[in-house]
Amino acid sequence: MTQRKRVEWARLDNASKIFPAVRSSKDTKVFRLSCELTEDVDEVLLQNALDLTMESFPLFRSVLRQGVFWYYLEISDLIPTVEKESNPICSPIYFGDKRNLLFRIFYFHNRISIEIFHALTDGIGALTFLQSLVYEYLLLKHGEEFSGAMPTLDYRSPVSSKMDDSFEKHFTGIKGPGQSINKQTRKGSEKAYHIKGVKLDENRTKLIEGSMSVSSLLDLSHKYNTTLTVFLASLLLCSIHEEMALKRRKYPVVLSVPVDLRHFFRSATSRNFFFTMKVGYHFKNGAYDLNDVIDTVSKAFTDNLTEEYLRNRLDRLMSLERNPFIRLIPLPLKDLFLRIASKIKDGGISSSISNLGKISMPADLEPFIRQFSVCVSAPRPQVTMGSYKDRAVISFTSPFRETDIQRAFFRFLAKEGIEVEISSND
Amino acid sequence: MQYCNYCKIYIRGKKNKCVLCGNSIPAAHNKEGSSEDESKEAYPAIPPSFQRHLALRIMVFISLTVVVISFTAYLMFPTDINWPLLIVYGLASTWLSLLAIVKKRHNIPKTIIWQVVIMTLLSLFWDWQTGWMGWSVDYVIPITYVAAMLVMYVTARIMRLSVRDYITYALLDGIFGIIPVAFILFDWARVTFPSIICAASSLVFLAAIFIFHGESIKAELNKRMHI
Repeated sequence: MTQRKRVEWARLDNASKIFPAVRSSKDTKVFRLSCELTEDVDEVLLQNALDLTMESFPLFRSVLRQGVFWYYLEISDLIPTVEKESNPICSPIYFGDKRNLLFRIFYFHNRISIEIFHALTDGIGALTFLQSLVYEYLLLKHGEEFSGAMPTLDYRSPVSSKMDDSFEKHFTGIKGPGQSINKQTRKGSEKAYHIKGVKLDENRTKLIEGSMSVSSLLDLSHKYNTTLTVFLASLLLCSIHEEMALKRRKYPVVLSVPVDLRHFFRSATSRNFFFTMKVGYHFKNGAYDLNDVIDTVSKAFTDNLTEEYLRNRLDRLMSLERNPFIRLIPLPLKDLFLRIASKIKDGGISSSISNLGKISMPADLEPFIRQFSVCVSAPRPQVTMGSYKDRAVISFTSPFRETDIQRAFFRFLAKEGIEVEISSND
Repeated sequence: MQYCNYCKIYIRGKKNKCVLCGNSIPAAHNKEGSSEDESKEAYPAIPPSFQRHLALRIMVFISLTVVVISFTAYLMFPTDINWPLLIVYGLASTWLSLLAIVKKRHNIPKTIIWQVVIMTLLSLFWDWQTGWMGWSVDYVIPITYVAAMLVMYVTARIMRLSVRDYITYALLDGIFGIIPVAFILFDWARVTFPSIICAASSLVFLAAIFIFHGESIKAELNKRMHI
């Protein structure tokens, strides 16, 4: 009670504001990153590695609190502990008033996983943390084998820049030409096809992940003259179409695709810094051509990923957040509005696909690492992927029993000659 | 590793059926170079959790049954006082208070404030429904506020809460304690001494907060009220 320490706190950045408002037991807004090693994990060493890693990620010590007008992150003294995996995938982390850390670290046989509440950071931020953790762990475990020449993790940014709110930093305050954006919003409010299914008990999530060779995937997408992400997004659109009932085909299939803004704006933050864009295809009658779908998706990617377009959207989002009237709305009302807005937005989305991209680790550690994978809490079937060296892992998470989309997706890849290895929590 | 002939895919772990198509998998098909690691289950089997809130369900059921039975009895054997209505009020009050506790249980100072607000409103409601004798304003409200300040202080001590975790709520508590001044000024209270004691103790309480934790309050308010 006599403690007088100045406690640091941080505002939530623009993209994080939505997550505490819209989390529910059906969609926990938790995502998971895993790194599979070639040998079983040692709990004690992992705990030591975690303690070391925490020192360079101050933000990860924060708890989420409710203010009168906004949520905020408050740095706590809590110490995370490593556990053996025993929770369903992406089970809730943030519980309103409970003051707990916004992530958990666990292991299962040879896999180290981190589950994070999305308000804390995005996939790239969490990945940086996991990479550091695995790095520290392998150094503790196999340190003597690197006699003298310790491998270094080169992308370590200063601790302070990891705390940056990059939305704030890159906000110009200049309102850009709004026309093209308005067009996009109007298109966005169109109702999209919704995947239906039988829900799993207790709001559990079904995870089906396919692990395969990156080079064969790349070869396949080059065969269709496109990039990997565009190809997989198109294949997902077609797989969803496969399971669509005839009478529901009047709706377009629309995917939401998160874009890492670190590619477009200089930033080393470990907090949220991303947008989502939409790509869709209207199948109308039954017949379709994968090449056709690819062309449409490819065009959407190029149109939406120009720096000018992104800067416009960033400025628009930020000026909305800075609107004095919006800022003065009490938090419970803001939550309500955000929930309604997100319901409306979800109406325009059938699924989502998110590519974490190529993950790299110091070359000396490669013999100890098998693969990286990523998955998210899912109110609807959605896809996430990541690749490490020549292993790509494509993960489907779904709240439904049905596996038609997953089957169509992986069967297509298998038919094209790719050797797919499936693992599942089923 | 196992192999599904229909999907043409390999499956990790020991599954009886293909996770994609549900067809049973023929005898183990060994892929070259598959190690022991790959036959281990990739994910732990997590048993279903026990039926949650069973106690709560039983309580809801009992409450509803009591209401139904009392109205039935009242209809069959009418009396002058509408006593089943009082039972409904009583149950509603209990539930309101209980739900607030359950919902805010992770933050004890906040729970205290919620209870103070609920008690204030409920006592006014009951007083009004039972013929406005003024006991809520005379006794219940001032005593609740004084008790809340005491409970807040004791909880903070026992639970070793850090200043930032309870100071805002203590401040709110102190401000509530000033309210009974209005009872005296506007002649609402017939018995004034509880209100006087309440106002006096809250002044002392507030003085203590500001003198000893002035900076903390400023920092806390900046944080909680940031726009």
